[in-house]
Amino acid sequence: MPAEHIIKSYDEELARLNKMVVEMGGLAESQLAAAIDAVVRRDSALAARVVEGDAAVDQIERDLDNLAIRLFALRQPMARDLREIFVALKIASDLERICDYAANVAKRSIALSQAPPVQLVHALPRMAQFALLLVKDVIDAYVEHDADKALEVWKRDEELDEMYSSLFREFLTYMMEDPRNIGTCTHLLFMAKNIERIGDHATNIAENLFYLVHGTPLTQARPKGDKSSLEVVAPDRAQSR
Amino acid sequence: MNSPTARPLATEPDSPDRASDDAAPPRQPRRPLAAPPIAALVQRKPGDEAPKTAMPDVKADVRHVNFFYGKFQALHDISVPLYDRRVTAFIGPSGCGKSTLLRILNRIYELYPGQTATGEVILDGENILMPGLDLNRLRAKIGMVFQKPTPFPMAIYDNIAFGIRLYEKVSKSELDDRVESALRRAALWDEVKDKLRDSGLSLSGGQQQRLCIARAIAIEPEVLLLDEPASALDPISTQRIEELIAELKADYCIAMVTHNMQQAARSSDYTAFLYLGELVEFDETETIFTHPRVRRTEDYITGRFG
Repeated sequence: MPAEHIIKSYDEELARLNKMVVEMGGLAESQLAAAIDAVVRRDSALAARVVEGDAAVDQIERDLDNLAIRLFALRQPMARDLREIFVALKIASDLERICDYAANVAKRSIALSQAPPVQLVHALPRMAQFALLLVKDVIDAYVEHDADKALEVWKRDEELDEMYSSLFREFLTYMMEDPRNIGTCTHLLFMAKNIERIGDHATNIAENLFYLVHGTPLTQARPKGDKSSLEVVAPDRAQSR
Repeated sequence: MNSPTARPLATEPDSPDRASDDAAPPRQPRRPLAAPPIAALVQRKPGDEAPKTAMPDVKADVRHVNFFYGKFQALHDISVPLYDRRVTAFIGPSGCGKSTLLRILNRIYELYPGQTATGEVILDGENILMPGLDLNRLRAKIGMVFQKPTPFPMAIYDNIAFGIRLYEKVSKSELDDRVESALRRAALWDEVKDKLRDSGLSLSGGQQQRLCIARAIAIEPEVLLLDEPASALDPISTQRIEELIAELKADYCIAMVTHNMQQAARSSDYTAFLYLGELVEFDETETIFTHPRVRRTEDYITGRFG
């Protein structure tokens, strides 16, 4: 961290803002981890706790917004301080979305647990663990204000996208094989999409962190691995099965 | 005042060498001996202004300037361009040399013994630090406003007319026009038009400062030096001065020293950060206040200076 401000209370407020972001990050991690657990263990009670836990994250975000507004108005931040506060706001909203997606995965896991266990559910946690790692690493990068680390996360999201594409194809195949899979697979598809979105938010955070550290935006085009939006299932191919 | 033998300070705008090295769009000649083109300036259409995106001309170019108070060197090898029709702010802690730099630009320092400057300040192609320069002409080209309002102890009208009478011979009606025009440009006319014979000292601080600005622009300078022009004023008067600066920069090259960082950020196009007599960083104001390149600049503007 740079040298201290002449006005100490300014430093204290910035430190508090920082702490709130890290706290939200910690919650995002634990919420996502618990949601994955709930899917794997078919634990509806745990899933319900994840859904309830989302409110706590929203509350921190509101507090953080208030603190940021206060800092803008009372401190008139410049340069690095300005970026610090602005980026904290943006990262907080990404973390809040990550938690929403985690809660959504948990909610759908409750529905999945009602149905008989199926083998194909197992493909999902692997992807989710990878997303969790991205979130964890980008939060670590934020704690250390390490733009290089952030850049690594930013690059690794491509792999998550590829996982999503291949899961997407897999679920389509299951659905075509047996229409009884459609209910489960639809939930799984949405969950996979949620997890893929979590990766996108992690890359947003990485981009904002890069801007915070360097003062210039990360302008390189991000590698894209998700091609599922281009996938189609030809009706004749479906019927021939 | 202007005897025929007086050395011209700068080449006239229509002289061949200026025409050749200055490819910019033709401008109003600013310092004619006859009536000044205030009316023309006022009537200029907005479209005539230099487009903001185009790189501005350098009006005054400070090159490798050193300055000494006796043996003490207050400025070290300062090079900085002052762009025409732009505001350049000088920021830095007390004693960093920013006011000294401003004082070099109109050679006020020469009034004090033992103060010397080396290097060059090129104004319209001519080095104004050159010995033998006509200082009266120089100071008519470069107007200055100080931190504390310094109206002359005379009528408001005479405060403005004084400089015009000094440099030019004009009729009474023309003088009236010039005084009114300067007061209007300084956004003071409506407040003083009914009491032009009252003393300049009877005005409020903010009004006095605008009177000083009106006095400075009445003689149609080309460069305006503002040394903390609003630091002794209340917030409303400060905003009036800032608004005035924004209007005046359509016609002048303005250099401003300020301790108020927000003011520099709001009012200037370029910002120079000085520290211990050295130029640490010079860039567009937006860059300086969002992502300065030099750590010392950032520490200063974010309030981390030890």
